[in-house]
This record gives sequence, C-alpha cells and structure tokens, in this order.
Amino acid sequence: MKRIAPIDIIGGIIVVAILAAIPAVTGSNYLTGVLTVCVIYGIWASSWDFMSGLTGRENFGHSLFIGAGAYTAGFLSSLWAANPWYSLPLAVVVAVAFAVLVGFPTLRLRGPYFALAMLSTSAILQRLCLIFWEYTGGEEGIYGLDPLMKSPLYYYWFALGILVITVIVLTLLARSHWGLLLRAIRGDEATCQAAGINVTFYKIVSLMISAAFAGLGGALYAHYQLQVSPPLFSVIVSITVIIMVYVGGIGSIYGAAVAAILLTLLTEMLRGFGEYRLWIYTLTLMLILFFLPNGLIAPLWRRMTERLR
Amino acid sequence: MSDLLEVNGVTKRFGGLTAVKNASFTLKKGDFTGILGPNGAGKTTLFNILTGFMPPTSGTIHFNGELVRELAPYKVVNRGMARTFQLTRPFIGMNLLENVLVACMSPRAKEDKDKEERARHLLAQVGLGGRDKEPVETLPYGDLRRLEIARALATRPDLLLLDEPFAGLGSSEIEQLAQLIRRLHREENLTILLIEHKLREFMALVSRVIAMNFGEIIAVGPPEEIVKNEKVIEAYIGKTEDAHASA
Repeated sequence: MKRIAPIDIIGGIIVVAILAAIPAVTGSNYLTGVLTVCVIYGIWASSWDFMSGLTGRENFGHSLFIGAGAYTAGFLSSLWAANPWYSLPLAVVVAVAFAVLVGFPTLRLRGPYFALAMLSTSAILQRLCLIFWEYTGGEEGIYGLDPLMKSPLYYYWFALGILVITVIVLTLLARSHWGLLLRAIRGDEATCQAAGINVTFYKIVSLMISAAFAGLGGALYAHYQLQVSPPLFSVIVSITVIIMVYVGGIGSIYGAAVAAILLTLLTEMLRGFGEYRLWIYTLTLMLILFFLPNGLIAPLWRRMTERLR
Repeated sequence: MSDLLEVNGVTKRFGGLTAVKNASFTLKKGDFTGILGPNGAGKTTLFNILTGFMPPTSGTIHFNGELVRELAPYKVVNRGMARTFQLTRPFIGMNLLENVLVACMSPRAKEDKDKEERARHLLAQVGLGGRDKEPVETLPYGDLRRLEIARALATRPDLLLLDEPFAGLGSSEIEQLAQLIRRLHREENLTILLIEHKLREFMALVSRVIAMNFGEIIAVGPPEEIVKNEKVIEAYIGKTEDAHASA
C-alpha cells in the first residue's frame, strides 16, 4: 500500500472547504447549480480514470453508465413513482449490470474491441431511447423527477460529499495492491499472465467499480435536472469526460476530479463569449494537451508540493 | 504418474511451417534439463506452448498428472509452472519491489501473507536485495534477468522454465547468473527446464539435454553423450560454427 502524503490530505481538505463555502458565501443560486454540475462531472471523470487511467484500456462509452444511471432514476419516478432515494442504489446496480454485459465478452480480447463496444453500446442505447419513445419520452425524455432535497444548496453539498467519497474510495483502491495490479495490466498483460494474474477478472471488476460511481453520478444528475434525455448517452459526454481526465493527469484520480470542476466552470464562464465559446474552450484544451501531455492538475500539484513530501 | 511434466506428440504449425514437430519428452521432479538448438529450432515456440501462451496444433501436455494444454497462461502458472521471457518484460514505471509484488498476488502465492516482505526476500534471493525502490528502466540486462527469475519464483513454481537466460550477457554476468540458477535448483528443490543455444554455459549447467533442430527433437541424453551424438554434431554444431563465422 502506497502511503498518502499529509500534504495531499491537507490540500484536499482545503479544496473541499473552498468548494463547500463558495455558494454559501455568495448565496447565488446560479452558482450553486453550476457547481453541482461541476462536482457531478468530477464523479464521472474520476470513475473513468479509475478503470481506464489505471489499466490503460480506454473506455469510449462512459456515457453508457451515466445514462443508465440517469434513466434508472427517470423510470423509477415515471413508471413506479417510487421514493426518489431508491434511485441512487438502483442506478448503481443497473450501471454495474451494463459493465458486466459489455466488459465480459470484450475485456478478454486485446485490441480496440472494448473501446469500440463501449462506444457503440452507448450509441445504441441513445437510439433505443428514441425508438421506444412511448416509455422513454423520446427526444424530450422523462420529465418531472422528484428532487432528493428541497434546498439546492443542501443538494450541492450532498453531491460534493459523494464526490469526496468517490475520490477517497478510488484513491485508496488505486494505491492498494489491487491498484498495483491494474497498473501492471497497463504495463504488460503477458507479463501479468506469467505472474499468474487473471487479467480479465481484474479488468472486469475495475470496470464494474468504475460503472458503479458513474451510474451514481448519473442518478445525481437526473435528480438535479429533474429530467433525463437521450443526449446523456451521447459520445460528447464520454469524450468530455476523457478530456477532463487527460487535463487532470491520467491515473491520479484527484486530478481528474479537479480538472472536471475547473473545465465545467470554464465552459460556464465562457458563456459571455457567445458563439466563440467553443473556439476558446477547444483552443485552451489543445494548448494544455500540446504543452503538457501528462496533464495539468496532478503534475502541477506534485511539483508545487515536492518539498513538502 | 511420477513424471512432473509429460509432453506427448506436440506439434505446432504456422501455415505451411512446422515450428515444432511431434515433440515428446518427460521431466521428473528435481530434473535440471536443457533444450538445446540453433536459432529457429522451435525452442521458444515449445516454451510458449507448454506455458499456455500458444495452443499446440496437436499433442498433449500433462503437468502433475493434469492436462494443461487448453489452460490460459495464468492458470498454468497457478498449477506450478512459471516462466521467464527471453526478451525481459518488466512493468515499466514501477520499481523493483512492485514488479515482484504483482506476482506475489497470484492465487498460488496466497499463503504468503506479508506480500512486501515476501517480495523483498525474493529480491534478496536473486541478488537484488536492498534495491526495492529502484526503477526498472535503468536496470542493466543481467539484473533484469534476475528480476524475471524473482517474479517467477514469487508464484512458488514446481517447474521453472528459463528462456535463454544468458542471451546478451557478458561472461562474468553469465557465471554469476549460472551460480544463482544452480543454487535455486539445489536449495529450492526446483525442477528447471532451460533453453539455450550457447553450448559452453549450457553443458556445464544441466544434467540432461534435449537437442532440437528444425522443430524436431533429435537427441536426448546427458551432456557428455549429446556432444558426441552424430546427429547433434551434424545438425547443430556445424550450424553454430557457420553462424559464428558469419556473425
């Protein structure tokens, strides 16, 4: 087990304290909403990083788990009108089921099959939402989900809490012997086999863990928007999440979470630029990834705190 | 069923090429056997078949009395047959300790409760003690071979397969590594099967030789006999002399 440096814990507490304080101090409902989306993206990005960042098997369809989690919450409210709190655990179960469904046949293969299977399964589900519009509401999706909490501020704190738990759990796993095996799989699968390690098993279970948190984040998002729609399954969501992880510094977990928050904030702040927004956003990303191929957040943090370790 | 490994009529064809042709041999517990043959004789292919990295076209392999030919490589390892690679394949970006730790987590090593302690012990055993934190990227070739052996030992094998452990090493490194392998055979009660095409190092080490050429086993016997075997001299020694002359 790799030790977590005290400076990392202190840094984490400070960042979380600032994030928790901002909306309470400013009292702006708009900012609370933006930050809620920020931390949900943080959950998605760090959960992607856990499986794909550590094992090196890129998942191009994380939106499959996100959408599955969100639609679980949607169906629960529209079809059964159940207690909205049930949707969180159920979203986890459904997302994990999808992970097994896609991971089991494709993760035993080498090559791009897993990435392609994830990509196409998420695209298929997006189509299915349109085809079975009687149940899914088609383009418009499912409306009128119940909020989990009345106060947006409390809900933001709740989502932030889930992000903190996600990052802590995934970081502890990544630094455990289990995480070492995942990094070994990234290094050389044949050597892992020669070391007696069941590579497929570890990949599938790590995908299930990744999917669990992504699905949870999906349900959180659904109960924030109070609505779910097919674009949740879209490739753009998956790609956005992957970019966040790369900007954060792959394999670091916390880097992905922080990058997700900053990039989501950036897109919001650029709203003032109107149609130039995407240009500026894309250019910023290209510059970061061109000059810092190892990412921005985690390498920067390591550098800043080098002497304190 | 006193044989540890029983190879029966193993053949491997790649399209029109027969890399291994009807190979049959047995290993007894405690044997120290070498497979001898020039480059391209099918030695590494045979290794890949034995360890599950490649399915044979035909033939059977029994290990400890159990048929292992359809098993995945990691399952073969967990039955007690571990290998090293000719081109060493460490986990880049990890230090020496972590490289061995990975193998300490195989199901076969589950008796070893303190994984890090076990990994440290193994590193010391192969002569890499006290260098836990060193990155593998800067490791010289001889040390990488030792690391490969430590990783294989971590899975607590009954049979250790070494794929050309001396390739690319200087003579003093070879001598040290040969001593290590000899010690492991003696002290750890390991059965060893070793591939080599360099005659000299080889003959001094093993007690029994399986000579191969063009995918076929052409002779089996103690080293003294093998060097006198006409087929071996004709097919093998002539070829290496040529190879040396042209190199």
